[in-house]
Amino acid sequence: MVTCTGCALLCEDIEVVIENDRIKESRNACRRGAARLRGCKNRLAPSFNKMQTDIDTAIKKAAEILKNAKSPMLFGWSNSTCEAQVKGIQLAKKLNASIDDTSSFCQGLLIERVLKKKFRTCSLEDVRNMADVLIYWGSDAQDSQPRHLSRFSVFPRGESRQRGYEEDRLAIAIDVRESNTAKICKGHFYRIPLKGDREFILALMDALSGKVPKYDAKRILELAGIMKKAEFGVLFAGIGLTYSIKEDIDILVSLEDMLPNFHVMPMVGHYNMRGFNEALFKETGFVNRVKFEGKPVHDNKYAVVEALKAKSIDALLIAGSDPLSSLPRSVLPHLASIPVICIDPCVTLTSKIAAVTIPAAASGLECSGSAVRMDGKVIEMSKVVENSYLTDAQILTRLMEGF
Amino acid sequence: MGIDVGKFMKNPEYEIKLTTYRDIFQAEALENDRFSDEYKKHSATVVMGKDGMKKFGLKTGDRVRLMNSYGSIVVELRESKREEPGGLAFMVNSPWSNALVSDETGGRGIPEFKNITARISLTKDEITKIESLIS
Repeated sequence: MVTCTGCALLCEDIEVVIENDRIKESRNACRRGAARLRGCKNRLAPSFNKMQTDIDTAIKKAAEILKNAKSPMLFGWSNSTCEAQVKGIQLAKKLNASIDDTSSFCQGLLIERVLKKKFRTCSLEDVRNMADVLIYWGSDAQDSQPRHLSRFSVFPRGESRQRGYEEDRLAIAIDVRESNTAKICKGHFYRIPLKGDREFILALMDALSGKVPKYDAKRILELAGIMKKAEFGVLFAGIGLTYSIKEDIDILVSLEDMLPNFHVMPMVGHYNMRGFNEALFKETGFVNRVKFEGKPVHDNKYAVVEALKAKSIDALLIAGSDPLSSLPRSVLPHLASIPVICIDPCVTLTSKIAAVTIPAAASGLECSGSAVRMDGKVIEMSKVVENSYLTDAQILTRLMEGF
Repeated sequence: MGIDVGKFMKNPEYEIKLTTYRDIFQAEALENDRFSDEYKKHSATVVMGKDGMKKFGLKTGDRVRLMNSYGSIVVELRESKREEPGGLAFMVNSPWSNALVSDETGGRGIPEFKNITARISLTKDEITKIESLIS
């Protein structure tokens, strides 16, 4: 069995057929997972100043850039193994660098609250065995974590839910768009206007405290009734919800406080985003946006987006992420004026502009390691195919040896 | 021979609200090759409800320019297969949609990826290539 790194479900039940050290065929994986297992078409090659070089020279040049930088940032990490993430944090400490990951503009706000125990949460096995009310809020799991509904939430029989979705479970979607997940929640789809989540939460809180909600009173009262009666409810908080209430994220904590049988689970996309958040939290007490200045300092100015806008970094090492693809173009101009080091298995938009590119083994396929599933469970990944690529962790170790 | 006045007239522009979503077919194309035509096909597309398209005189398959003060892209327009009562337009999250996202964050480090205001107009220009989104 192989572990899939297509998303933070880290499905461990994948069967593969290997031919010429590549995965020719896979079974049980979703469409995205199968594509990830097949591997990308364009592998990254070592380069310096856009000229191909050998791996040793690429690592040496990267070390020189970091050594000469006054305020470097190390970014990415959501597609790296836990072992590489720990090395990345060590490197940031050694350099007095800032370190941030993609959770900074994704689910970091929610994961931070989970790790600080502000939310009551649960495992995906708990969901499968006990959950009777499942709320996908701003989350289209069918497209982002495609086996979530079939492995854990809506469709499986669980210990206390032997009659499955036909009788024992109720799936609800709250979203601005009738997503593929919302289509499955037939009759229980609540469409909200763009940025309308906060108002919806307030209306729901009114209904839960016995007041008549300010809008859509009939449906909100119906939903509040379902949530109150839940024996084991789970609110799967998607990125749509997080973005919409980012200015007042604790309102979700207040809502959960009114629902003693409910649990909140952030729907994480990248396979090991939570792993990085946990590793940095353990080391510093913060999940992202940290600068080491002898001691770790947390500030929004160390968020990758703010640092790029403020032009406050003079070198950027990126491990397993493609900010040119995932960040607004309006915040990117500073990238063109600083040296970028890109560590990745594949050619990306970012690797095209990088001063140094360092190819890495694809984790869970070409190297072993561990990762943290979206619910916090540690999953071990085995090496599946033979290859000669260095792992992220090995590259970072060699970089540190260069100082 | 008369002058083709239409040639010099600017196509009308309409303001729209755009939000982004995820699509598993696009994610598959991303895993395979983010420089592929397949990835471009799934990304460089804007989806609107039938009523909105009718209001703006646009149809499925039209090339449209989406622009605001942060960027300008050309994408293909497609009619939504679903009810879209809010009049919103939709794009799969990608470098194309990110070309229109504001750099305003209120200092919080999270851009408004899902809350984009843009103008839409018919165009004959080519669909924006991914390479032009890098430079």
